[in-house]
Amino acid sequence: MRLVPRGPVGPALSLLVPLFSVLLAFAASLLLLALFGTSPREAAVAVYQGLFTDLRGFSELLRRAVPLVLAGAGLALAFRAQFWNIGAEGQLLLGAVAAAGVALFSGIEGGWLLPAMALAAFLAGGLWALLAAVLKARLEVNDVITTLMLNYVAVYLVEWLIHGPWKGKTAFGFAYTDRFPEAASLPLFPGTALAWPGVVLAVLLAGFFAWLLFATTFGFEVRVLGENPEAARYAGVRATVTLSLVALFSGGAAGLAGFVEVAGTHHKLLSPLQISLGYGYTAIIVAWLARNHPLLAVLTGLLIGFVFAAGDVLKVALMVPFQLVEVVNGLVLFFLIAGEVFLRYRVVFGGRRG
Amino acid sequence: MRKVWIAVLAVLGALAFGQQELKAGWLYVGPIGDYGWTHAHDVGRREAAAAFPWLKTIYVENVPEGQAGSYIDQMVRQGVKVIFATSFGYMDAVLEAAKRYPDVIFAHATGFKRAPNVATYMADFYQVFYLNGLMAGALTKTGKVGYVAAFPIPELKRHINAFTLGVRAANPKAKVLVRWIYEWYNPAAAKEATEALIAEGADVFAFTEDSPTVVQVAAEKGFPSFSHYSPMLKFAPDHVVSGQLVHWGVIYKDFLAKVYAGLYTPKNLEDVDYWWLLPQGAVELGADFGVPINPKFAGRLKAKAVNHPIFGEINVYDLVMKLHGLMKDVELAFDPFQGPIKDRRGILRVPEGLRLTKHQLETMEWAVEGVVGPWPNEPKK
Repeated sequence: MRLVPRGPVGPALSLLVPLFSVLLAFAASLLLLALFGTSPREAAVAVYQGLFTDLRGFSELLRRAVPLVLAGAGLALAFRAQFWNIGAEGQLLLGAVAAAGVALFSGIEGGWLLPAMALAAFLAGGLWALLAAVLKARLEVNDVITTLMLNYVAVYLVEWLIHGPWKGKTAFGFAYTDRFPEAASLPLFPGTALAWPGVVLAVLLAGFFAWLLFATTFGFEVRVLGENPEAARYAGVRATVTLSLVALFSGGAAGLAGFVEVAGTHHKLLSPLQISLGYGYTAIIVAWLARNHPLLAVLTGLLIGFVFAAGDVLKVALMVPFQLVEVVNGLVLFFLIAGEVFLRYRVVFGGRRG
Repeated sequence: MRKVWIAVLAVLGALAFGQQELKAGWLYVGPIGDYGWTHAHDVGRREAAAAFPWLKTIYVENVPEGQAGSYIDQMVRQGVKVIFATSFGYMDAVLEAAKRYPDVIFAHATGFKRAPNVATYMADFYQVFYLNGLMAGALTKTGKVGYVAAFPIPELKRHINAFTLGVRAANPKAKVLVRWIYEWYNPAAAKEATEALIAEGADVFAFTEDSPTVVQVAAEKGFPSFSHYSPMLKFAPDHVVSGQLVHWGVIYKDFLAKVYAGLYTPKNLEDVDYWWLLPQGAVELGADFGVPINPKFAGRLKAKAVNHPIFGEINVYDLVMKLHGLMKDVELAFDPFQGPIKDRRGILRVPEGLRLTKHQLETMEWAVEGVVGPWPNEPKK
């Protein structure tokens, strides 16, 4: 048995393969749950009842998906330019830091506070990514390494702030900032914990990135730069400028995810592991599954949001151990990624020819 | 006495409610296998489940703060009527959920905000830490006791202060060297901190971290230590002197029995705040249940005599036992934070003849004399 390259793939196949992967992934997850004594039927019923029978349950799926879509759409843009941004987690945290800083210390009041926080978060996330982009464009420093390492710097920055200068007076000695003023809270959809402006922001931003990428000269430059840097240079694409803008948008989107998390859910700055549940890393898979198409990231973000929210439901409703839930989450992602191989290759049974 | 009380309540409840079932849920911050905080809460949950045939329990582990509200939603959907949230970080989520579900009873561990359907509870160790300090002071030869600490929050500051007061009562010149590791669970950091303290000359160890690392590292060098939270005697039977143990089950059983009997309702919990210590049996002195002092150290502790203001010339072993007896009594004839106590900057914190209120204990930021090392948020006034 061996794998033979397929060449160009039609739209039917590129839809069928991921769909099939998803089905296989769910089947494998249910099988695994069954091995540990949870009936697949019960699991499916619990997930259905937990997520799809009322608004509050369904809103949790969306709440999980919003940061994934925001960061994922940004990464889709970055990957198009072959800017290998593994740093969405750090950019998200920087966005959370900037939003918290504006909320707590800017003195801005009333209706301008939330837009100011969002802007600050976008800029902070964007500039954090820009560091790596400039190093790549000017000095050819490997962007995978720099963006990844900057995640750790961001984690320690947050830790330092909440243990040190930003530690709250009302935090009882714990490592939190004070709670943000009321005006810094995103409005919630009635009857849910979902900050609806986050949903709007995610969809608009994904749409904007798609428009940018496929309907503007800038987008054309991005794609050429990604697919053939040599050709891009001959065509007069200014690599540094293009790459910098891509980084700014990509990091900015992740920064906005951080803004939505602190302004919508936490209302304070807290431990980095609590601000983001690994959203910046999972967003890489969101972008990748979306074939680096920012609008498709809305769909893939929802899919992974569903997987996470379903795990949450199983933990409570059927007391599935958290370790098993994490294995199932990993398994689903594994199937989705592994399935991609069959898009590019076809399996040929039998020995090697000639 | 307490057991009788709980049994009576349970019977009353059964009479009042017939065979009705009560479902309770626990939100855990870590995994139940952490051998520390979450493990101890889960032991308490199982004790309650075993004690009351009418009780059904469920739990979720590793609950992130931002997800606590969502897990509470799912629990309520499962018919849970009493929810125990076992981490400080769930405070806001609990209070918001309490508004959403006015008929559900919430109890929040370590918190300080209550509502008609939100109670708070805590089993605190500060008395036990004082007793451990007495023993540590008697056992140190270098006059330096090492303390590996998780976070510089008032709870730990209170414990380290009580411990240091004990150390100095047995050995007025001794010092307690403190190292913060900024994690609740991090064996690698705990090991590093212990080794650093050994290098500084410490020869007796106590700690706040959810693994037996400090005990093990100290034992390798032959140094005595005090276990934390879970029974750790078995990890170094020749080196663990004593320690602090918790019985969350005592609180859970009391609380749930009162809910079942109809004494606690979603309307009357505004003032229900468990601050349970030795007298209530919520905490215990020892490195293992029923072993307040490792017999292997009895000789050394009996050989160390101190001149005590109340008992006169007395050896440390007997002193620990006497004070243990006094603090287990509800009359509380003895308290570690009995004035006069100055902090290490020389400011009088507890005036002669006074003790600290619960609020002062809960918000303690200062360090007693004898504490050495960084102390974030140390008040200058």
